[in-house]
Amino acid sequence: MTDAPADVGGRIVVDGRPIEFANGDSVAVAILRAGEVPAHGGCLCLAGDCGNCLAEVDGVAYVRTCQVVARPGTAVERHPLAAKPELPTTDLRDLTRFPIATAVTVRRVEAPLAVVGREPSTRGAVVLDAQVGEEVVGVYPGPSIVARELLGMLHLRAEEVVIATGTTEIQPVCPGSDLAGILTPRAAERLTEARVDLGRVARVGRELVRFDGDDRGHVTAVVTRDADGTDVATPCDTAVVDLGRAPRDVLARMTPGDVVRVVGSAAEEHPLPSAPTVPNAVVCPCMGTTVGDLAIAWDKGYQDLELLKRASWAGLGPCQGGACLPHLRSWIAARTGGPPPDPFTARPAARQITLAEAAADVAIDAFRRTPLHDEHLALGARMDRFGGWWRPWHYGDAVAEYWAVREGVSIGDVSTLGKLVVSGPDVVEALERIYPCHVADIKPGRSRYALLLNERGHVMDDGMILRDAETRFTLTFTSGGAANAEMWLRDWIETWGLRVHVMDRTMSLAAINVTGPFAKRLLARLGLEEAPRFLGHVRAEIAGVPCHVMRLSFTGETAFELHHPLDGSVGLWRALMDRGRDLGIRPHGLQALFGLRLEKGHVIVGMDTELDTTPRRLGMDWAVRMEKPAFIGRASLERTAKLPETRRWFGFSMDGQAPTEGSPIRSVENGEIIGNVTGSWTSPLLGKALMLGWQRRTPFADKVEIDGRQAVVTPTPFYDPEGHRARA
Amino acid sequence: MPALEPVDGLRVVATPAALDGARWEGADVDVLRIAPDEALGIGATGVEVDDADAIVEPEAGFAVALLGPEYVSLGAHTDWPIPDEPGALAQGKIAGVPAKVLVGDPTLLVVQTAYVDELRERLGW
Repeated sequence: MTDAPADVGGRIVVDGRPIEFANGDSVAVAILRAGEVPAHGGCLCLAGDCGNCLAEVDGVAYVRTCQVVARPGTAVERHPLAAKPELPTTDLRDLTRFPIATAVTVRRVEAPLAVVGREPSTRGAVVLDAQVGEEVVGVYPGPSIVARELLGMLHLRAEEVVIATGTTEIQPVCPGSDLAGILTPRAAERLTEARVDLGRVARVGRELVRFDGDDRGHVTAVVTRDADGTDVATPCDTAVVDLGRAPRDVLARMTPGDVVRVVGSAAEEHPLPSAPTVPNAVVCPCMGTTVGDLAIAWDKGYQDLELLKRASWAGLGPCQGGACLPHLRSWIAARTGGPPPDPFTARPAARQITLAEAAADVAIDAFRRTPLHDEHLALGARMDRFGGWWRPWHYGDAVAEYWAVREGVSIGDVSTLGKLVVSGPDVVEALERIYPCHVADIKPGRSRYALLLNERGHVMDDGMILRDAETRFTLTFTSGGAANAEMWLRDWIETWGLRVHVMDRTMSLAAINVTGPFAKRLLARLGLEEAPRFLGHVRAEIAGVPCHVMRLSFTGETAFELHHPLDGSVGLWRALMDRGRDLGIRPHGLQALFGLRLEKGHVIVGMDTELDTTPRRLGMDWAVRMEKPAFIGRASLERTAKLPETRRWFGFSMDGQAPTEGSPIRSVENGEIIGNVTGSWTSPLLGKALMLGWQRRTPFADKVEIDGRQAVVTPTPFYDPEGHRARA
Repeated sequence: MPALEPVDGLRVVATPAALDGARWEGADVDVLRIAPDEALGIGATGVEVDDADAIVEPEAGFAVALLGPEYVSLGAHTDWPIPDEPGALAQGKIAGVPAKVLVGDPTLLVVQTAYVDELRERLGW
């Protein structure tokens, strides 16, 4: 098959060698015109149905070369014969040199009707035709279509999808079917139209027995069998095999449903080929599955098309069964003596796409910024993402920030905390059912710490319940758990039909935590004449900003959370910094805050907890009032209280520097891992490493090994166990 | 590039019937009914609602961009249809950022201030 192109369009480079192509050639046709094969053999359809022309094109692997127009300089690398193409590699020691991917653009289209293929009777529809470079990758529920276009990706949403993709040509499955030089009739027709010299052509149909080939792996003869059983070899340079057609229905099999219609020959039943019988004949060229492999899987019990596919790998390759599916159905029908099984399902990518194409226009989560974001940056904060927000990790010296809290005064941005307002005649009833603590006895102006449990009694979140009035409360939650907690409350309130209004104020209010022995003095300077006592809350103007002042403590020191309107936040922050200068004020970031809370043994839900953490496992039974007749999770807690304890969260301490969070906790007896560290901090005050973490083996040990050192179980809080400082 | 500027207003959670009959005070108030039981009155300085337990709070947590007919180009960044009927309110992610679009003359693009910088960066504004 060699011929000089009549109308030279340029040269492509195949495995480093230049090959001339004619204008209009696909890459596959150009390679065939040069007397070579695009891959390593097998029957070519040149219609995008089989996987026998796959190669790496311009750095992208698994490209159907028959579907790519040859352009000057197109670089083609054949895949290895018996291995996968290599993945692009990079030097992981230097991530700054990681290759930058080219952004893939997405065109979004909406249409009442989309037609995949050619369907002349559908006027007014958006028509996606592979022959003009619109390669449909998948049809998805919606329905929506993802297609690859010449300039990027197309995301098409349609009210109805019509699949009019016609038929594929059945591939041969017999000895020698993996030789080069075998074509389907349509492929032969295309090459003839392109004036590619096919040499001696032998045409064959269902009488095919095998192909003979030479040492180069090229077909030399087609062997058929006479009526008297004699094999007849017809010498050839090209074998054209006509075994009939099958529906090109991979897209239809991807998304069944009323809104996706298959029409024309793609919807018709076509005669299946004879069941392949020769054990070493390749059924699935993509995966190399032979007839013998099918038999082995079948005999192991995988006697269903879907199971056989997974057990033998037939149909799992790039062509998604385009080559093997008719043969598999025929083979199973022959085995069972029954009708052929329905075609197997198709995975949701009918064409191999790159990660860039798959990710095109996909937005990563948006991280929120508090109104103090620029203040933090101006103060030299190292910002990090935490709980869905950008938050200051530290301002350059976490230990100094720690000491400011313990010995002076410090402010922290806690605007990220979840904040709900709930109101209504049934609000107490609702909160009593939702929370495991008492709610009705919280007086206006007072607050209570609360866990939020699910029906299994597992800790979902925690926060404060603050009573504003008889029928109105403010609830706070963790930064990362706020959205879920809001949905949880709304869902239950609606389920119970209670008259309660819920307003999420998380992103409407900012909050600053003022903490340290001088906190009260600082706030007095800015207008807080009468500070609330511990767990009290008041409304007051601080530095001219209306604030909801909440007296509580996560740091272990006197602390006030100032919840206030966003537009007053920068002014309030600056006033606090300014008036606190002579008190040694510093802002503190998360790193110091986590250390401060660790010394107090306070839990951080989500960091210290697991999905099935109960209050008992945390040592927080005190936050659960089982004398209440009902609350979410009560029945589970009652039941599991009778079970032996298998896990518990402990405090640990040891000399030296704190180990990495997440470090394994090992048995001192045998070195087995019995748990892990969830929080770790080298306490500047206590001069040793403090840890919080899980023991998951009983009996619980008093001494464990962490980071190769012996640590002892230590009661929490490590610091100020009586809580005098927070209440001061 | 369109400016996304913080706005003041009122947010109200009340019974749907009370919100239907709410009387908003203020000049050029744009009311976004963001849920059956919740409304945001941009520019509102007061509101009367017939619900004793209604939650009414001043709201400074949103920013608004005023857009002309070019608002339809936001559709390039959504996987939901941008409405074209005047008065229509659509809520969803634009370039992955939660936002609201109130169609009118001008059309309002409304986003919580915590997301403003992220949305600006993603839209190249």
